[in-house]
Amino acid sequence: MADYEPVLLKHEGVENIRSLEVYRANGGYQSLAKALKTTPDEVIDEVKRANLRGRGGAGFPAGVKWTFLPKDRKRTLLCVNADESEPPTFSNRYLMEADPHMVLEGTILASFATQAQTAYVYMRIEFHEPFHIMQRAIDEAYAAGLLGKNILKSGYDLDVYIHRGAGAYVCGEETGLIESIEGKRGWPRIKPPFPAVEGLFGQPTVVNNVETVANIPHILERGADWFKSIGTDSSSGPKLFCVCGPVNKPGCYEGPMTISCEELVMSDAYGGGMRRGVPLKAVFPGGISMGVLKSDELQMKMDFDDPRNFGLLGLGTAAAVVVNAESDMRDVLRNVSRFYSHESCGQCTQCREGTSWLYKIASRIAMGAGRIEDIDLLEEVSGNMGMMPGFSICGLPDGATFPIRGIVQKFRAELEEGIRNQPSGRADALLNVLN
Amino acid sequence: MPKIIIDGTEIEARDGVPVLQAALESGLDIPHYCYHPGLSIVASCRLCLMEMKLPHPQTKEMGWAPKLFPSCQTPVREGMEVRFGTEKVEANQKTCMEYFLLNHPLDCPVCDQAGECHLQDYSYKFGSAESRMYEQKQVNPKKDIGPKTLLYSDRCVMCTRCVRFANEVAGTGELCVTNRGGRAEIDVFPGVPLDNGMQGNVVDICPVGALLDKDFMFKQRVWFLKGGDSICPGCSTGCAIRVDSNENVVHRLKPRFNPGVNDWWMCDAGRFDFKYVHDVKRIAKPRLRRGQESDTPDWSEIPDIVRYRFEQHIARRGGASVAVVLSPMMANEEAWLLATYIRSLAPEATLLLGHVPIEGEDERYPVGCNDDDAKFTINNEKCPNRRGVEMLIEQLGGSTCAFEVFAKKCADGEFTAAWVVGGYPKGWPTKDLTKSVKKCELLVAQDIFENELTGEAEIVLPACAWVERDGSFTNAGGKIQPFERAIDPIQGARRDGQYLFEIAGNEGLYSGERVREMMADKMAAYANVAEAPLKPAHQH
Ligand SMILES: Cc1cc2nc3c(=O)[nH]c(=O)nc-3n(C[C@H](O)[C@H](O)[C@H](O)COP(=O)(O)O)c2cc1C
Ligand code: SF4
Ligand code: SF4
Ligand code: SF4
Ligand code: FES
Repeated sequence: MADYEPVLLKHEGVENIRSLEVYRANGGYQSLAKALKTTPDEVIDEVKRANLRGRGGAGFPAGVKWTFLPKDRKRTLLCVNADESEPPTFSNRYLMEADPHMVLEGTILASFATQAQTAYVYMRIEFHEPFHIMQRAIDEAYAAGLLGKNILKSGYDLDVYIHRGAGAYVCGEETGLIESIEGKRGWPRIKPPFPAVEGLFGQPTVVNNVETVANIPHILERGADWFKSIGTDSSSGPKLFCVCGPVNKPGCYEGPMTISCEELVMSDAYGGGMRRGVPLKAVFPGGISMGVLKSDELQMKMDFDDPRNFGLLGLGTAAAVVVNAESDMRDVLRNVSRFYSHESCGQCTQCREGTSWLYKIASRIAMGAGRIEDIDLLEEVSGNMGMMPGFSICGLPDGATFPIRGIVQKFRAELEEGIRNQPSGRADALLNVLN
Repeated sequence: MPKIIIDGTEIEARDGVPVLQAALESGLDIPHYCYHPGLSIVASCRLCLMEMKLPHPQTKEMGWAPKLFPSCQTPVREGMEVRFGTEKVEANQKTCMEYFLLNHPLDCPVCDQAGECHLQDYSYKFGSAESRMYEQKQVNPKKDIGPKTLLYSDRCVMCTRCVRFANEVAGTGELCVTNRGGRAEIDVFPGVPLDNGMQGNVVDICPVGALLDKDFMFKQRVWFLKGGDSICPGCSTGCAIRVDSNENVVHRLKPRFNPGVNDWWMCDAGRFDFKYVHDVKRIAKPRLRRGQESDTPDWSEIPDIVRYRFEQHIARRGGASVAVVLSPMMANEEAWLLATYIRSLAPEATLLLGHVPIEGEDERYPVGCNDDDAKFTINNEKCPNRRGVEMLIEQLGGSTCAFEVFAKKCADGEFTAAWVVGGYPKGWPTKDLTKSVKKCELLVAQDIFENELTGEAEIVLPACAWVERDGSFTNAGGKIQPFERAIDPIQGARRDGQYLFEIAGNEGLYSGERVREMMADKMAAYANVAEAPLKPAHQH
């Protein structure tokens, strides 16, 4: 997409853009100044009209989410989700490092729209650089009257804090995040009550992703119609994509949600094709949790709707993990299942026991001690968990089901062949060691 | 009272309860672990899932929703329709039961919980007989987590009831979950053991054999135990309890659901301080002093001896010289039998409430709560029936006095005959009291252990422990609560109720109920003293 004009990454290459001065010199904080002269409802309406869908994974329209807040609320809290723990996803980090004030301006705008007087940026502990960069931006903003009391003399007050999590995937789930900020174990909450009604410290709360809020200054600057002109009706606006694995140019890229997975991996504007020309075997296009594509399914559009046509859960984080023909799907399976087994918080029986059992089975298969019937077992166990069928409190196990069942269903032949070609006797010997 | 339909059958539910509770109360056995009516709802074990009819998102037509819902987290609503008896629901129960056992050591043969374990029961009823896990089990350690409890975390099903109990009821918060996912474990922080005044309850609410009572550990297989419905005599809170015994030995006490009094709980003092019941130093036989000689008459002689001595004394000194000290350890029925008997011989006799042991202040839980928010109170009156004895004395009218006045009047020679009932597990009469009371010409001491008073008494009658008696106690709140006999009196002894019944001239067998009928003629409060309705029923 040579003619795509970057929005979120438009300041790439601008020297010192992390400083408030340079950000302002490049037009920064003008949307905020503009918005503060209007009403929160006007901001909400514009964002709603733009159909800005959440970039954190679920794709829920941000403006609509804000209207779930009770009308008669006394306090509102905003949490910006910078936990970013989905495997191969690093676009939030990239954005915070590249343009911290853009993220901050978006945070202030989202707070203004929801009338939050306190916002927390929830950041995983491993983000050291982004933490210092964002904190510096916040300090500068306070000094310049962009945060604190009476922002830009508008009468609106806001405090922003960065809360550093201890590093758990499940703390990215919005109610796990809320518990974690409250200083508790990151155990997702049962709903109702929903956070919009009773969230952080029992107050009405909105959780938005970093990239979601970073879009808001642009929507207010250039209007909802401009925003909708990028991408499609249901997948509008700019989007950050990540590509990683054995490709020529792994990295974070910006583009419209009209590109296909193939473009993302192969085109020179993005991943740049397979390294050393080794053929592609599979792609997990939405972070690993959305599921997997075979090499003949790469025409899938990187938007909010098309993934469902390929048996995927959704767009997810739009971060593609590429697997080449040199990798054994048994190892991929093991790697994927280890993640969920390690990250399940352990509240819900099906998720706690299911994810660890899946990892045990997958490990055994990867070690060359598989049985053909294990494949059905994997499918069965991964089908018996998840929030959508009601088996669990949060969506983490749905994110385990889709890639694991996807691998089993789409690569069954390869798995079976791997098991059939195991060195004979190895299975029994290994089982003796295992038991 | 909303009506809801469970599996096609309409039932009436109490307002505001979860569907699970309503289903259990209607007699259905719905497997569940994390739900406990006395704790907050976490809906995490996901064993209680059900199907529910909801309006279709587009057509608004009511139909079975494709997903399952936790019945413990769904409040009842008028007209709602749910079902448990479906393939989907049962498949989930089966999955869960398989999962609970994946890493479980299956050591039922050496587990105290066996026989009353909801992992056993549910596996039998809802699970499958074999495990399909082929790999090594995750082995979690056995831990000594406090003075009274052991945690075998390899048997734990992670329902977090124990953690919630420590946080929400005890208010001491010693327990926590450590680690994540399949490696999660219940634990305490180093140097902060599970040690609060109600810790025994965690063993009761643990649905499996993970939390174990050190006191009961390896003592008995539970199917040998016989339960007696009783009331704790430890303080005037009056917790409903079950006395578990085998061959006349009490092995443990457990709380019984008793709304508004102890709900599901009991304190550790009440639970563990029953050992005196089997103390070999207990008084086992009646004793009579004849001059310098001491004699143990046969029980059949006692009524005549007692009557003869009191009649003689009253003839000599008049009825006003007689005082009866009714102990707050006595049942209402026993106190009534003794009081009315003496009044029948001497209508002017004085009836009074005996020594009321007080220890410190009332203890309220959760620790640090406001008085109004207390979920449980341990009363500082360490006896079960102060209120009952007081009420009785008031109802019977006539002469009464305070306990201190009684001692003084004995010293002054105003009372020359006294029947003093004790029965306290801890030593009680002071030297001063004994010095005054021993001046009496006729002294009957009815007590459980020897003390200075029994040493001075002319007639000594053994008092039995409450587990050997039956009757009723009136708690501090004025609730009359019957308790039944759990074991036989120690050899040689007889139940207090029985010998008082005979002394009072009745024939046949004493029973609390029978005496309450006699009492109810005069005192309506004792009519229809039935067990509190035990709804909500809750299996565990
Ligand atoms: C297991 C799990 C992990 C999640 N991790 C993240 C995360 O790291 N970052 C994020 O923005 N959203 C994450 N989410 C999604 C959040 O729950 C929430 O939907 C999102 O932050 C909302 O923001 P948005 O509406 O702006 O997308 C996660 C969800 C689940 C179930
Ligand atoms: S589904 Fe898994 S991660 Fe989510 S709350 Fe339950 S156990 Fe925790
Ligand atoms: S120890 Fe018992 S009560 Fe505590 S979480 Fe485990 S199973 Fe539940
Ligand atoms: S509170 Fe009182 S009545 Fe209840 S168990 Fe404790 S000692 Fe017994
Ligand atoms: S009892 Fe309902 S989820 Fe545990």
